[in-house]
Amino acid sequence: MRPTFDPFVIPFVAGMTFVLVYCIIGLIRIIFQLPKEDRRKFGRSLINPKSAWKNFKDLCSDCLFHVKIWKRKPLLGYMHSSIAFGWFMIIVIGHFETIAFSPLKDMQLPFFQKLTSNLYMPIFFRFFSEEASTLSAHIYAFLMDFFLMVIISGIVIAVVKKKKPRKVGLKRVTKFGFTEDMVRISLWTIFPIRFLAEASMANIGGGSFLTKFIGFDLLFGGHYNETLSYILWWAYSIDLAIFMTLLPFSRYMHIPAEALLILLRNAGLKTTEPRKGYAVAEIYSCPSCGLCIDVCPMSEVKENYRNTAVYFIRNIRRGRRRRDVKHKTEICLMCGKCIEVCPLGIESLDIKMAQRKKYYYKVKSNFSYLERLQDYKTTGQQAQSSPLDAHNSKILYFAGCMSHLTPKITLAMTKIFEQANENYEFIDKDGSICCGRPMMLTGKVDEAKALIEKNTEMIKNSGAKRLILSCPICYRVFKEEYNLEGIEILHHTQYINELIENEKISVDRSDKRYVYHDPCELGRAFGVYEEPRNIIDNIGLLTQGKSDKDLAVCCGGSIGSLAMTKEERDDITKNSIKDLTLNHPEEIVTACPLCLKTFARLSPIKVKDIAEIVEENLEINEELGIRN
Amino acid sequence: MKEHNILIIGGGPAGMETAYQLKQLGLKPIIIERNDRLGGHLAQWDRLFPTSETAVGLLERLKENTKDIEVKLDSRITNIEKINGTFHVSLSTNKNFEVDAVVVCTGFELFNAERKQEYGYGIYDRVITNAELEDYFKTHDDKRVDEPRRIGFVHCVGSRDVKVNNTYCSKVCCATALKQACEIKDEFPDADVYCFYMDLRMFGKGYEDLYLRAQKDFDIKCVRGRVCEVSENIEGKLVIKAEDTLLGTPMKMTLDLLVLMCGMEKAKGVEEIQKMLNLESNNDGFIENSGSFVGINRTKGKGVFVAGACTSPKTLPDTIAEARSTAMEVFNYLIHNC
Repeated sequence: MRPTFDPFVIPFVAGMTFVLVYCIIGLIRIIFQLPKEDRRKFGRSLINPKSAWKNFKDLCSDCLFHVKIWKRKPLLGYMHSSIAFGWFMIIVIGHFETIAFSPLKDMQLPFFQKLTSNLYMPIFFRFFSEEASTLSAHIYAFLMDFFLMVIISGIVIAVVKKKKPRKVGLKRVTKFGFTEDMVRISLWTIFPIRFLAEASMANIGGGSFLTKFIGFDLLFGGHYNETLSYILWWAYSIDLAIFMTLLPFSRYMHIPAEALLILLRNAGLKTTEPRKGYAVAEIYSCPSCGLCIDVCPMSEVKENYRNTAVYFIRNIRRGRRRRDVKHKTEICLMCGKCIEVCPLGIESLDIKMAQRKKYYYKVKSNFSYLERLQDYKTTGQQAQSSPLDAHNSKILYFAGCMSHLTPKITLAMTKIFEQANENYEFIDKDGSICCGRPMMLTGKVDEAKALIEKNTEMIKNSGAKRLILSCPICYRVFKEEYNLEGIEILHHTQYINELIENEKISVDRSDKRYVYHDPCELGRAFGVYEEPRNIIDNIGLLTQGKSDKDLAVCCGGSIGSLAMTKEERDDITKNSIKDLTLNHPEEIVTACPLCLKTFARLSPIKVKDIAEIVEENLEINEELGIRN
Repeated sequence: MKEHNILIIGGGPAGMETAYQLKQLGLKPIIIERNDRLGGHLAQWDRLFPTSETAVGLLERLKENTKDIEVKLDSRITNIEKINGTFHVSLSTNKNFEVDAVVVCTGFELFNAERKQEYGYGIYDRVITNAELEDYFKTHDDKRVDEPRRIGFVHCVGSRDVKVNNTYCSKVCCATALKQACEIKDEFPDADVYCFYMDLRMFGKGYEDLYLRAQKDFDIKCVRGRVCEVSENIEGKLVIKAEDTLLGTPMKMTLDLLVLMCGMEKAKGVEEIQKMLNLESNNDGFIENSGSFVGINRTKGKGVFVAGACTSPKTLPDTIAEARSTAMEVFNYLIHNC
């Protein structure tokens, strides 16, 4: 008869209890920090069968199989899913095995003892069990060995990744301190030690191809050494205990936090406070994998890699170094590329935005003119004021302040409207109210709201059905913050594409080689990737840059950054131009006046807005004269 | 002293004056000019600040001085090789010769105003540059200058502007703007003339007087603040937005003509010459000389000298003074080294 308890299980039970208690307290804190409305939403989403099913699906694909990492980097995907899914299966199968064969199953034990024994028994099953010769026992043993092998193969890749990151397709990986190293080493050694411990007494406890044949027969030469075996079991338990105890203080906290994050996200929650509730779940979910380091435009300059999302989140999590947090919050270009590659989809920009709201920036905003404005058109000339009326034309065009600094865009749009024979109202031809996005980006939400309200009122009262914008910065704020029900909001790329597809305008095609730069606020923010490419396909040849669409590099001019110096911006711009001109295009085409201005400063080739190239290649219909 | 050949690259005021002085010192300068005439930007100008002397007068004087000097027009330098202290020069006209010293007088290029799209140059008809206005004064043939009632001058276009990568002052635009403002007022006495400046740098002899005269005698209105945006209204007039930073108010104005005071930039094609002579560029893109004080005429390369606006923006008096000092430097170099 094998024993049912041995002192070596104590470290494990202590560690396990600690981590469970820690996580439960953390969970309760997060739930209580959520705003009341969010908490209700969360509760409802757990009960709702539809979202419950989504939760289940997402938990499987993200926590166990890491589908997103597979898609980006298959080798890393295998590494993660082999360890996560393998471990999960060992726990599940281990429990079933324990239920089926545990020496405790027929015993009558006091409740507490039963509880703790259930905690450790599946983990150290081979020590307490006796080899059984039934078929199901063999199957269990085989499965356990199989998944142990899977995990160990994943750990081999992890070791390679640490030593030679380029082998798994990473340029730079995050740098860690002592605690993180300790946890990592303890994690790496858990399963090799388990293998040795199980193999050392496979003649008694049983085993399959890995532990029994490779381990016991080949490695240990078929001899059972009681002392060695006992030491190995102790080592296994202590190793687990170290891992469990340090887990909450290390990046491996992402294992439990990720599950919570998925549930909260599926409930539709968003960050409102930078260090409370939802944000905490996000911060703890960051596995510090460093995928965001390679893609961040800032890390083109070597010293600036510490401004990337992973280090920002680490600073926030540790709650120290307030100046570092402030700098990282303010320097970010808000291009969103880090979110695009984040395997957990951590919305670090939302955290940064929430953090910016906490800072006080001295801005002397004077909105008294909003009061004086009876209607929009009076911003320019008080004399000829008449309310903005689009009841006939139904179409409004809002160029935005940046487009007024690049008048070629507004002129091109005017020409296009004319040729499409569209009746439209040019809202800000003669002065305008800001869209509010620059204010939002500095965290001045209340000020931005004042502008947004005024614009909303004016647009709604005009009776328009469509609103065409030339600037993606405006487009984003109109889409996200404005409540313009019943009015379709389009960026001019979408609008022009529609005109071409409906044959309202036609363009000439040439062999001119173009490359398209995706503006962050249009591409990553709203996935407007195909429309501009479709337009260029109709005009000339579209060449490929080094990276495009969701991985397009910010132009460097983003108004998202509040702290970046001109030199740092120039480095990003130059790098972005280098990427774009990889296949020798004749012109760079973009769809954002700010990108246009930024590139034009440093580009060796011409930079144009997509509206400009459409206007240049318009087939002119002479009958449609100038409207005015 | 044996006869030395000296290569002068560029036949503008700096090149012409250097050549003249070298000739006076008994040396043999050769001027290489890529255009079909001498004079550089001076030849395109009508009158000069602060005295409103004609540019032709100065140009004729410089030409008169250089009439005995060998000048190769329509020529470009294709190669310069230094062997044993002698420069072997090849021209695009397939001529080869040897010189003992080189003086780079490549001058400057006017900033291309299309790069500041917000000012609308090349987009709106009535936006012109300082050079074009000067050309109008010479020929009176420009349909865009059509009895303007209201005229604006924008200072510092392409100068002191981080957004176009030019952080330096071009030195001549403030005075040129006021000179041109007075001249256009003279031509159209009923017009209102506005100058939009950041600050007025009236540093030279007679400049401050020009500024006072412009205000007192010509009623030129100087507004401290930059123009930020230019657009066109239905009648084809220009609508500008600016800020009066002294009053602290934004302003909006309709104009018939907007003149952009384009600053100086490094000359086009000067990189090739820099490469041949192994000359570096300074932060502003101009040719780097050996220091700001005694080394202004010299470069890192032995036997290679500079004069005029190729090293930094300069006024005409500065250029001529520098050309004379460069001639002296070349003379001293040849005495001691050849």
